[in-house]
Amino acid sequence: MSSIRQAKHQRIPAFLRSWGGVFGAGWLIFMFLASITARWWRPYDVAEQDLIARLQGPSSEYWLGTDAVGRDLFSRVFTAGALPLQASAVMVLVAFGIGLPLILIAAERGGRVEEAIGRFAETIMSLPSTVILLAAIGAIGNRIYPVMMIFGLLVSAALYRILIGVAKSSRQHLYIDAARVDGMGSIRVNLAHVLPSMARPIAVQAAIVYAIGLLIINGLAFLGFGPGEPQPSWGFMIKDASDNIFNSPWMMVPPGVALSLTVMAANALADALAGPLGIPEYTPPKRRRTISASPAQQSEGTDNLALSVRDLSVVVEGGPTLVSGISFDLRQGEVMGLVGESGCGKTMTARSLLGLLPAGVEVSSGSIIWQGRQIAGLPERDAIKIRGREIAMISQEPMVALDPLFSVKSQLTRPLRRFRGVGRREARRIALELLRQVGIVDAERVLRCYPHQLSGGMAQRVAIALALTGSPKLLIADEPTTALDVTVQAEILSLLRALVAETGMSVLLVSHDLGVVADICDRIAVMYSGQVVEAGTVAEVLEDPYHPYTMALLGANPHVADDAPEPERLAAISGSVPPPGNWPEGCRFADRCQFAASECSVAFEPEPAHVDGMSLCIRTGELRRTGAQWAPEHRGAELAVESEAP
Amino acid sequence: MPLYIAKRLAIGVGTIWAAFTLTFLLVHSTDNSPGAVRLGMGATPEEVEVENERLGWNRPLLTQYADDLGKMVRLDFGQSLINRGDVRDQLSDRLPVTASISVLATLLAGIVGTALGVVAAVRGRGTAKAVNAFSGFSLSIPSFWLGVVLVYFFAIRLDLLPATGYSRFSEGVGSWLQSLALPVITLAIGGAAVVARMAASGMREALAREYITTLRAIGTPEWRIRYIHALRAASLPVVGALGVQFIVLFGGSVIIENLFALPGIGQAALFGATGNDFPILIGVVVMSTAVVVITNLVLDLLTAVLDPKLRTR
Repeated sequence: MSSIRQAKHQRIPAFLRSWGGVFGAGWLIFMFLASITARWWRPYDVAEQDLIARLQGPSSEYWLGTDAVGRDLFSRVFTAGALPLQASAVMVLVAFGIGLPLILIAAERGGRVEEAIGRFAETIMSLPSTVILLAAIGAIGNRIYPVMMIFGLLVSAALYRILIGVAKSSRQHLYIDAARVDGMGSIRVNLAHVLPSMARPIAVQAAIVYAIGLLIINGLAFLGFGPGEPQPSWGFMIKDASDNIFNSPWMMVPPGVALSLTVMAANALADALAGPLGIPEYTPPKRRRTISASPAQQSEGTDNLALSVRDLSVVVEGGPTLVSGISFDLRQGEVMGLVGESGCGKTMTARSLLGLLPAGVEVSSGSIIWQGRQIAGLPERDAIKIRGREIAMISQEPMVALDPLFSVKSQLTRPLRRFRGVGRREARRIALELLRQVGIVDAERVLRCYPHQLSGGMAQRVAIALALTGSPKLLIADEPTTALDVTVQAEILSLLRALVAETGMSVLLVSHDLGVVADICDRIAVMYSGQVVEAGTVAEVLEDPYHPYTMALLGANPHVADDAPEPERLAAISGSVPPPGNWPEGCRFADRCQFAASECSVAFEPEPAHVDGMSLCIRTGELRRTGAQWAPEHRGAELAVESEAP
Repeated sequence: MPLYIAKRLAIGVGTIWAAFTLTFLLVHSTDNSPGAVRLGMGATPEEVEVENERLGWNRPLLTQYADDLGKMVRLDFGQSLINRGDVRDQLSDRLPVTASISVLATLLAGIVGTALGVVAAVRGRGTAKAVNAFSGFSLSIPSFWLGVVLVYFFAIRLDLLPATGYSRFSEGVGSWLQSLALPVITLAIGGAAVVARMAASGMREALAREYITTLRAIGTPEWRIRYIHALRAASLPVVGALGVQFIVLFGGSVIIENLFALPGIGQAALFGATGNDFPILIGVVVMSTAVVVITNLVLDLLTAVLDPKLRTR
């Protein structure tokens, strides 16, 4: 819709803003006008023979040469366009005249009606149309328009198959329901709302079908079922050329090029009308250039630090910064929560640990020290050795995280054989063991299943088992329970807790849910606008938050601890996270903060907080002294914004 | 799975029935009559009338329909009105020629198209644009013209392949393939273009899926991600496209046979259409539809093998 509306605002329609569209529309119009006016301007009559000048190449007398009886090819090629260009248009009209009502009825009625029409369309679609058209010619004679109408009937079935989905989805729009409720009749709803919203796919299909019609008409003419001599047709001229190919190969050029260009024009028009496809371009993981990472700061207590992230920044290549100056540590066997609203850079931070950032996004500076090694910006060749084996990941949507075309068995045993160098049978045994470890009772049955046969919770358990195939020391869990039911959520969380206890691995849990974090994490890092704003142990941070944003998050959290008094109303945080590239100078939360003051608009260093944590708020000390609490009611922010303006 | 096959089979039978009915109606909707066709130009109206009576043309339409339908089920299409030969015998000699051309062309289109599509999907923007331009180009070239061009270069200028004529499979695989090479290549190029676009978008879509990230996160080698997982996903729409392509290429081969002078079913259809030979026309339509239906059933089975959702139903 939006593109159609856009097009209305500009003077040139969208499809004419590409070379293909200009060529397509231009050539079709030119050919049509040239061919219907040919009789008035062509240099020779189509039947005029010059027996002295037979089978000639291009010359000043005959611009495109002559055929076997000395007729002018230039005159004939341009005259020949009129019939196919018109007959194919009639065919397109017939096809849509039959197809569109069926599509609209099927989309409106659904159920039985749709199924019946669908079956019928599928039957018609599987008919070999060329043979049917020959049979039609044999029965009713060589009459081009009626034959093309029969072809239109056959094509309408294909149109049905292609456009029924579009029609059904355009009926889903709310304004169509609204129109129905308003008492608009079925026909008016279809004409006023459904059809216009299908305009673009209809136009695309019309152009494609038109091109097919041109090919069929000329194919039949090639077989001798054209307009009949001496009237020219491209198809029969090509047939003529093939009969004279030894004497005059040139003859095949004019009709072939004319027909090909015309078909190409219709196809180019279809491509231009369709616009770019909405499928993302695939960029293979390339050797990322090694970043100017700061040297590993091994000095601070390497005791049992598994992961140490320092000043990590992630940027869009040539675009805004997504994550800036992130630092945190993770000890072996520890569970750390990375929390914040969506869009604050949690997932980018987590993915950068695996070197699995989306195409065009990269680590620009800082260091990721994993087991004493710098792994930030590792080349793909080295990063791939860490994935699964040392650091693994489970993602948000378990139902789409597994390949639907492969069985659980195949998806588990493949990596097992690669990671552990075991044979088929042993891999199967370990797979069963892993499934049991993640709490699946009937592991044998699940092993034989395909992803679509699993429930969400079951799929997430399988995904966890998959992540465990390489016995990783760190598991990144990106919103592992968000897509699951509450009861299943609790099960998955206790499974993660049990796995940490059993295997001694560390977990980096990405979540927006403070309840989940409070449930299973040892430490927490609160993120806002691509920065860590507060870090510390879960107990300290959640019970005694230093940073106003953490206070606000806790105030907005509907889960209340058992012993806490029930608040009268939940706090709301006004405004929204500023988008990357639009971060204010100084504190990025200041615009939404109840305690913002003039000093918040200049850059500052994090303050130490809790035992070994930090708080990124210049007023930390002051707020602690006054015992400030985030108020459910919104106050003060406007004033702060004013005082902050540079 | 049995339900799925039964459904496809029912649609196949329905298609053959629809093809028969449509042609029957076409044949009976004209003022031409088999008697007139059979006796030729010289016959008097009285003689034609007698002949039509003898052929049962004057019976009620429904009686003829039921009668012809019953015979069709027993693969009896009667005699040709022109050469008086048995239609089934004449066509069953010709069917293998057309079927070989269209099956080989579909296979070639599938292989070449998939390869092009995969390359377009994984090799970056430049290659994708080149493949897309090639597809757009070859989709627009009429096969019967491309055939003439190929004959000119490969048969006449380079003298690599025979320009026309058919060599039976029983006369040797080499000469059989040689005689089919040009027609098959001619037909396959357009099909390959369609398949290439399908495969490219299928691969791109698959590679953007979440499970690809899962595979990456456990260190799956890139070749495995592309050529086992993504290609398998892309193969589903490709096989679907091949079913449609087979119908298109079968129709194309009917035209192409004329150019390469191959004794296929298309030539029979052409003679039947020129001479109003009704039994031949009905026979050609029914038998061609049967070939298309059988091929599509095979492809449906292949889809079921590839897609566990269909298999485990």
